[in-house]
Amino acid sequence: MAEKNYYTIDPGGKLRCMKCGVKLEKGKAKFLYLDNGFPVELPVCPVCGFVYVPEELALGKVASVERALEDK
Amino acid sequence: MAQIQERGSTHVYKVNKISKEEMEQMVARCVYEHPPFCSAACPLKLDTRAFLEAAAAGNFKKALQLYEKIAPFPLVLAMGCEAPCEGKCRLCEIGEGVAIRAVEEAVTRFGQAQKLGGVFRTKKKKTAAIFGSGLFPLFLAGEIEKKAYPLTVFCEEADLESFLRRGTGFLDETAFELEYRRLKAKDIRFVFGCTLTRDFMEERRASFDVLCASHELTSALYPEAACIPELMYCEAEKLVSGPAAGILDAAFGAKKAALTVDRLAQNLDPRNTRGQEGPVESQLYTDLSGAGALTRVPMYGAGYTEEEAIREAGRCIRCQCEECLKSCAYLAHYKKHPGLLSKEIYNNTQIIMGDHQLNKPMNSCALCGQCTVVCPNGFDMARVCHEARRNMVSTDKMPLAPHEFALLDMLFSNGDAFLARPQPGYGKCRYVFFPGCQAAAIAPETVRAAYLDLCERLPGGVALMLGCCGAICDWAGRTELQEQTKEFLGRELSKLGDPVVIAGCPMCKKELASHEGLQLVGIWDLLLEIGLPVGGRGLARPAALHDSCGARGDEKTQAAIREIAKRLGCTLTDTEFSGDRSPCCGYGGLAAYANREVARELTEKCLERSDAPYISYCMACRDRFARQSRESRHILELVYGTDAGAPPDISEKRFNRLTLKNELLRELWQEEPREMNLDYTLNYTDEARRIMDERMILTDDVIAVLDCVRKTGECIQDEDGLLVARRRVGNATFWVKFTREGDGSYLVHRAWSHRMTVVKREG
Ligand code: SF4
Ligand code: SF4
Ligand code: SF4
Ligand SMILES: [Zn+2]
Repeated sequence: MAEKNYYTIDPGGKLRCMKCGVKLEKGKAKFLYLDNGFPVELPVCPVCGFVYVPEELALGKVASVERALEDK
Repeated sequence: MAQIQERGSTHVYKVNKISKEEMEQMVARCVYEHPPFCSAACPLKLDTRAFLEAAAAGNFKKALQLYEKIAPFPLVLAMGCEAPCEGKCRLCEIGEGVAIRAVEEAVTRFGQAQKLGGVFRTKKKKTAAIFGSGLFPLFLAGEIEKKAYPLTVFCEEADLESFLRRGTGFLDETAFELEYRRLKAKDIRFVFGCTLTRDFMEERRASFDVLCASHELTSALYPEAACIPELMYCEAEKLVSGPAAGILDAAFGAKKAALTVDRLAQNLDPRNTRGQEGPVESQLYTDLSGAGALTRVPMYGAGYTEEEAIREAGRCIRCQCEECLKSCAYLAHYKKHPGLLSKEIYNNTQIIMGDHQLNKPMNSCALCGQCTVVCPNGFDMARVCHEARRNMVSTDKMPLAPHEFALLDMLFSNGDAFLARPQPGYGKCRYVFFPGCQAAAIAPETVRAAYLDLCERLPGGVALMLGCCGAICDWAGRTELQEQTKEFLGRELSKLGDPVVIAGCPMCKKELASHEGLQLVGIWDLLLEIGLPVGGRGLARPAALHDSCGARGDEKTQAAIREIAKRLGCTLTDTEFSGDRSPCCGYGGLAAYANREVARELTEKCLERSDAPYISYCMACRDRFARQSRESRHILELVYGTDAGAPPDISEKRFNRLTLKNELLRELWQEEPREMNLDYTLNYTDEARRIMDERMILTDDVIAVLDCVRKTGECIQDEDGLLVARRRVGNATFWVKFTREGDGSYLVHRAWSHRMTVVKREG
């Protein structure tokens, strides 16, 4: 079953995990806040699982969802 | 590292109920929604203020629309009204009240009437009949027609013109012509030339749902009838009937009668759900200082010309209470008077499920108490917002995010940066100096100078306590944390022998006053007592004194500061918003954390009253004014000849507190502080510094991230070759974008954070 993703970022081979020496790939991740979860697709290291949250995403979408949840 | 528990879940479905009575009592204090005195006196409730405003603007069309709402035959009313409003006009107290009736007459004469008739309206099923003629039947016919009941008028007159003539002899021909056209356009059936007898009327009872009659007919044909004046109804006779005399009486009577007709037509008790009728008492407050011309525009003819009416209407000062909105930038920002805003904020606390849209306004009030002083009724908005915050904290519905930084800062002040030591050479001390967390953060040198001076000149030993008084958790509504802080400070004070606390900040003094049995004195009072130290100097230029909201209602402190400034040779300017009426700098109530924009507007409001340099006696004020590029000095800086200079950023504020503590420990108590030295070099680009301050990211947070990379090697490289690492610290994840320089040091380019956690998802 296709799951709904709230947000997708494809690193397009431009990001590299320095620890594992491999490129980050588009992978499944999940944001959690105050007992609420949101499935997303973000750049993820296929080896160590490092999930990258770029600045624009943190200050944009993530921040606005945070604000909305905080006022629930 | 100090941490505050984030609330567990948004799925909390309980609220802490507040009593409706308390809320209503509170809300009722605000008279903003009270009508102006003229409207209050008008039984027909003309919105006189809006009416005169439109007339003054020359918009007679709009003015007439407002007037037609209360009068189906506006000229008849305007030309004959006894105008009780005029005697109640506030301007009567200082001159002549507005000639409201004359303006009404001009408006009805020259204004462009609504399209007569024309509009198709669905008629109701129930029907009404009116017997007789005169002012009351005329007005009642207009009112019933407006309510869309099919209406028949039975009169003795032979035609419409004679019907209208009854009781309207005061109309001139032009006016009569205008009203005749109005009447003709109405959807009313007339039966002329009737011989009105009791039998005639009773015979028609079967054909109509409600019968109405003029007062003359009722008293002649039904002499036993008793008319209930509130309802205009003779209950036994089932007859709606009018009053005897007076134009306004007839108009008001017709309004009440029409409502009775409406209720009867629906088979309802005419006593119920009528709302408030007739003139009311108003407690509206109006500042009369803005009044212009105090005498009426003279009338040369029988009535005002258009131009004269415009001028007369322009004399109305549009009575309205906006004392608080004029002085508080927070209220001005939300453009809501406290009565309404409190109601919304109270209701916000009672939302069980869904969005709490008033959280931000609730958290943006500076809790400064200015409104209570400027409001003629002492409205206490601070209490409303403060109680609402506590209420929401108590049920775990309060978001932590807006206040977390400030709360952590407090924990830092009372943790890593906390210091409590007796004066060297003393076991217990007579005094303890408590400069306040902001003083140590913003002007550490001033704190040091003040402490050394007090040690030298006061007998019995002066201990030092660097920490936070607890105002921060108090403002945040975190009562539990407030209690803990109180206990903590109490324990530390008792270790020092429960000395007299010398508060360096009026806000601390106010907060500490809640400690039972604590002896407190402001450093300002003490300095006046023992004399100012040598070396202090006032400002060369005249300066504006900004009173701290911590000293509101504390005349003694306000006076002491002025006296110190005078002794230092300062020339002070006081303005309307000084002393108890002083606005908050924007730091109070944690406004600056919850709503930067409002906080900035609060600061600007303070600075608006003078272009001179500002002298304050709370470090937070000093800091916020300096951040707005105003020359800003704390009175203690002047007393001790120190200059704290440019305002520090958030990390420097922490650094200053820690450094002050460590230096004093070394110098005065010969203790070697535990210092955490980095074994690597960390630099920041200017841009990084700027965004960190804006995003409230501390150098400590950045260090935590870099420590993590150095230990685990976990980081990524972006398309520009910059490295990015992250670490969860407390309730937030911090991200740092950096480079490793040739010399092995780190250069931080950017930093950001988010509160959500992010994890990899399987499958
Ligand atoms: S000053 Fe403000 S709070 Fe007080 S009555 Fe007037 S509008 Fe209401
Ligand atoms: S000044 Fe204007 S609003 Fe105030 S009482 Fe007089 S007519 Fe009414
Ligand atoms: S900021 Fe101050 S003056 Fe304004 S509403 Fe709040 S307590 Fe009253
Ligand atoms: Zn990896």
